[in-house]
Amino acid sequence: MLLNPYLLKLAFDRLENHSPSNEILKIALLMVLFSVISGFFRFSMRRTLIWMSRKIEYDMRSDLFEHLLKLNPSFYHNTRTGDIMARATNDIEAVRMMIGPGIMQMSNTIVTAVTAISFMLYLSPSLTLISLIPLPILSILVNRLGQIVHKQFMKIQDYYAVLTSKVQENLSGVRVIRAYNQEDSEMKSFSAHNEKYISLNMGMIRIYSMFYPLLFMLAGTVNIFVLYFGGKAVVLGEMSLGTLVAFFTYLAILIWPMIALGWVISMYQRGTASLDRINKILYTKPAIESSSISHNKSELQGKIECKALSFAYNGKKVLHDINLLIEAGMTVGIIGPTASGKSTLVSLIGRLFPISRGQIFIDDIDINDWDLHSLRSKIGFVPQEPFLFSDTISNNIVFGVDFANPAEIQKAAESAVINKDIGNFNDKYETVVGERGITLSGGQKQRVSIARALLTNPKILILDDATSSVDTETEHLINMYLKGEISKRTAIIISHRVSAVKDADLIIYMETGTIAESGNHDALLSLNGRYALLYKTQLVEEELNRM
Amino acid sequence: MADNNYHEEEVIGKAYDARLMRRLLTYARPYRIPLAIAIILLIAGSGLQLLLPVMVQIGIDDYIAVKNMNGLGTIALWSAMILFGSFIFSYLQMYITMYIGQKVQYDLRMQIFGHLQKLHLGFFDKNPVGRLVTRVTNDVNVLDELFSSGLVSVFGDIITLIGIIIALLYYNWRLALFTFAVVPLLIIATTIFRGKVRAIYRDVRTRIARLNAFTQEHVTGMNVIQLFTREKAVLNKFNSINADLRQANLKSVYYYAVFFPAVEIISSISLAILLYYGGFQVGAGVLTFGELVAFIQLVQRFYDPIRDLSEKYNILQSSMAASERIFKLLDTEPEIIPVVNGPKPAKSEGKIEFQNVWFAYNNDDYVLKNLSFSVSSGEKIAIVGATGAGKTSLISLLFRFYDYQKGSIKLDGIEINRMSNEILRSQLGLVLQDVFIFSGDYAGNIRLGNDNISDAQIIEALKKVNLHDFVINKEGGLNSEVKERGATLSTGQKQLLSFARALAFNPNILVLDEATSSVDTATEKMIQKALDRLLENRTAIIIAHRLSTIEKADKIIVLHHGEVREMGNHKELLQRKGIYYRLYQMQFRDEDLKAVG
Repeated sequence: MLLNPYLLKLAFDRLENHSPSNEILKIALLMVLFSVISGFFRFSMRRTLIWMSRKIEYDMRSDLFEHLLKLNPSFYHNTRTGDIMARATNDIEAVRMMIGPGIMQMSNTIVTAVTAISFMLYLSPSLTLISLIPLPILSILVNRLGQIVHKQFMKIQDYYAVLTSKVQENLSGVRVIRAYNQEDSEMKSFSAHNEKYISLNMGMIRIYSMFYPLLFMLAGTVNIFVLYFGGKAVVLGEMSLGTLVAFFTYLAILIWPMIALGWVISMYQRGTASLDRINKILYTKPAIESSSISHNKSELQGKIECKALSFAYNGKKVLHDINLLIEAGMTVGIIGPTASGKSTLVSLIGRLFPISRGQIFIDDIDINDWDLHSLRSKIGFVPQEPFLFSDTISNNIVFGVDFANPAEIQKAAESAVINKDIGNFNDKYETVVGERGITLSGGQKQRVSIARALLTNPKILILDDATSSVDTETEHLINMYLKGEISKRTAIIISHRVSAVKDADLIIYMETGTIAESGNHDALLSLNGRYALLYKTQLVEEELNRM
Repeated sequence: MADNNYHEEEVIGKAYDARLMRRLLTYARPYRIPLAIAIILLIAGSGLQLLLPVMVQIGIDDYIAVKNMNGLGTIALWSAMILFGSFIFSYLQMYITMYIGQKVQYDLRMQIFGHLQKLHLGFFDKNPVGRLVTRVTNDVNVLDELFSSGLVSVFGDIITLIGIIIALLYYNWRLALFTFAVVPLLIIATTIFRGKVRAIYRDVRTRIARLNAFTQEHVTGMNVIQLFTREKAVLNKFNSINADLRQANLKSVYYYAVFFPAVEIISSISLAILLYYGGFQVGAGVLTFGELVAFIQLVQRFYDPIRDLSEKYNILQSSMAASERIFKLLDTEPEIIPVVNGPKPAKSEGKIEFQNVWFAYNNDDYVLKNLSFSVSSGEKIAIVGATGAGKTSLISLLFRFYDYQKGSIKLDGIEINRMSNEILRSQLGLVLQDVFIFSGDYAGNIRLGNDNISDAQIIEALKKVNLHDFVINKEGGLNSEVKERGATLSTGQKQLLSFARALAFNPNILVLDEATSSVDTATEKMIQKALDRLLENRTAIIIAHRLSTIEKADKIIVLHHGEVREMGNHKELLQRKGIYYRLYQMQFRDEDLKAVG
């Protein structure tokens, strides 16, 4: 490729000297031959470099995800999913651009520039110097403008998120907006957001629309330089017309790599910034890890003991001096108002957060000394918000174990009173949950989530308000079925409904992070305190529902 | 919305649909004058750019070849002017075109958003919010691309192409035809490449979408993965999806690696032909040196618009899909037609009358059956009933979120579907069980968008619900930040804030869906006190869960399966010894016994 302009020069010189046409034919054929050879090199380079960058991209993504799997809930509480996704998508792409196309363009630029410029210097040193003046300006310009455009683009992206959440809020709060007659003011405020978004865009457009015309103008300027100064040299007889033509062509070849150089520099700047952001996640140590003296017991009895347990989250006290003894095989009900610390207590037993003060013992071993994997695999946890993957129902139930046969799955589904619902779906257990499949109701999701926990055959079963969206009738059924399951293991049941906990061996009423009342149902009723009041209030509702 | 982003399906539809395109172009109509200017600038700019090789030719043939130094300076000066002119023209043209794109984007967004404000609530029951948000945001962005970089530049590419062809034919039609000989080769190479790449591109896109959806989903559900110790299994699955993507990417690398050198070889061939045949002509005196150089420069520019045009195909395709989705939304008619200039009640008393009201969400599946009751001015009504008894539907009807099928609902003597929504709803205040908090600040959450509510009124409302100290002690006071959905507020605070909102609007009638979630005793007391103040001097319809609220009501309606089963005040209902009596007894057995004893 790089020889082409030189060949052109030779051809033009021969034309000037009226050489026979087969000489020119020879040069023309050489031109094609050289471009075939250079094409082969380019092919190999692209294949090697881009290929490598794709493989590195794969490794990076895999490492990042593997690390994400180790990070604890506190990390996820303090980091927005959107940010994590940005690391996994945009940032990885930016790094790949740096090491793939970035290196390729860079080497391309260097090779082209060195070769072209040496040829040009050989042909005419003075013309080379004159004509090259605008080229570095070109690179700097591309880089600077690229930076500005990128910065503005980030601003636009941020505002796009604002615009999006404005629409999202408007639509989610549609009842309130309509009830208070605020459609017009919503239009007004949306219009303001919309205008701001447009004006940010215009800020970028002012620069961006200059970008290509400016590049073109600089490139053209180079041509004019060559035409004038080169032409002068030809007129003075210092240079042949062929050399002039070669110069035109060399410059045409040089312009693209120079533009690319500006790009490569921004790619590098963006890529390193992205790499920093990715590393920030990779260097975040998980707050909970198995300790070095970790107990890896295959058997677990299920005795739980909390001693003077306190917990603060983000500077706010959530649990205060909790003392609790749960013997293996016991069923414990936890009840109390929202934000009283019920979920936090069971999260600590599942070792989702590091303990601030006090201790938890499982089978008389400090929870921090347990091997994380062997502890968790003995605990069946049904969280407050059921989480299903957009996969088949059967895969969602099997999620916690490596393998389960259909009979086992069905048995778990029966115990969670979800098997009838599944039977009504078109594809039964193979029905896909979510976007493109069936959307389950909140209660159905909770029941699938219960079945998932039961299938792991845990020694400790924790239900964190796991039937809150289930209708009362079904809840009674679940309670009935669960009784059989619960008798085999330690069970902790958090609920808003007295009916779900009243048969437990021990009931704890929690308020503002402490245990306010505890005892069995009868004991708590005769105490005639908060539990008793709650019980009465709920009796009315139950009766209403039974009507 | 962010949660749905990665699930959105990549829809690949028709590349061109005349009906959609015509409708899209109507959005450009208000900007036809700037558009015309842009097109003129475009033609001028492209024309000037093509003049440059001609200037080179003139420079070589007329001045360099004949050794005329002065003329060479003139021609260089002319070239510089042409270059500068073309810069100005192209800059202005690009600016104007993108400006139009932004304007259209603004208009479209307003239109869609405005349309959503008018659609009936039933529409939102059926369409997930995430998808509707995409219509307003992403789909409009796709169309912007069509307006700002699609349409006009396609036009520009065609003009440039034609210009080059004309110039080449004008210089020497034989040589031009020889040069064009490689064009079919180029077209074939491009077509093959595009076919392969498009298929892979689609593969890559779906695999990226799948990988992102998987990542997003598992990051969101990280708790579950860790609780069930499934890290290894999930990582394996992730790696296999990741490997799928890598494989598709690697395949595309191959085609790109073949394509680019192939194009270079083809252009070398054309240069070789040009050189050989052009050289022959120069030798024969048919062609000048300068013309040959200009020829080479023009041919170098020939490939850009061709490449550009084929890229525009993708823009066209995705904008057709986006506009189809947008127009479908815009063509959805609101099912509840708002009344304009309806009658206004002579006196706002707060009287409500339900007469034999029947209502169903779908067909004949009635959720309210023959409902009749009335609420006189200042009365407090408690509605009691199980989940699904029709309590929420009842209050939705009063706000005219839905239209009832039979019967009539009157407010201050006028049937509500004859009244304008503004007049109807300005009489009513709504407090929902699931409080909706907007991001922004405290003042904004109370006044919503109503500028008639002064800061003083907001402060008074906050005082009445006992939230004043809490808000004022924040650094920004009334203007302190409130996060999306009130993320940093407790359940009780959210409740109180929504009470303050209702107080500030000061409606004649308050409609309240009492919260069921239990809060601690201290908060409970605060809510109770605020509620009493909220109910002072107004008519109220309360979906009641607290016994204290029910007892205090002037009238209690026991609703069951959409029918009124019992109605009356606390005493009357107790005497009746029906459902209410039974409920009451259960709860107060002990106390009653004590009282009797």
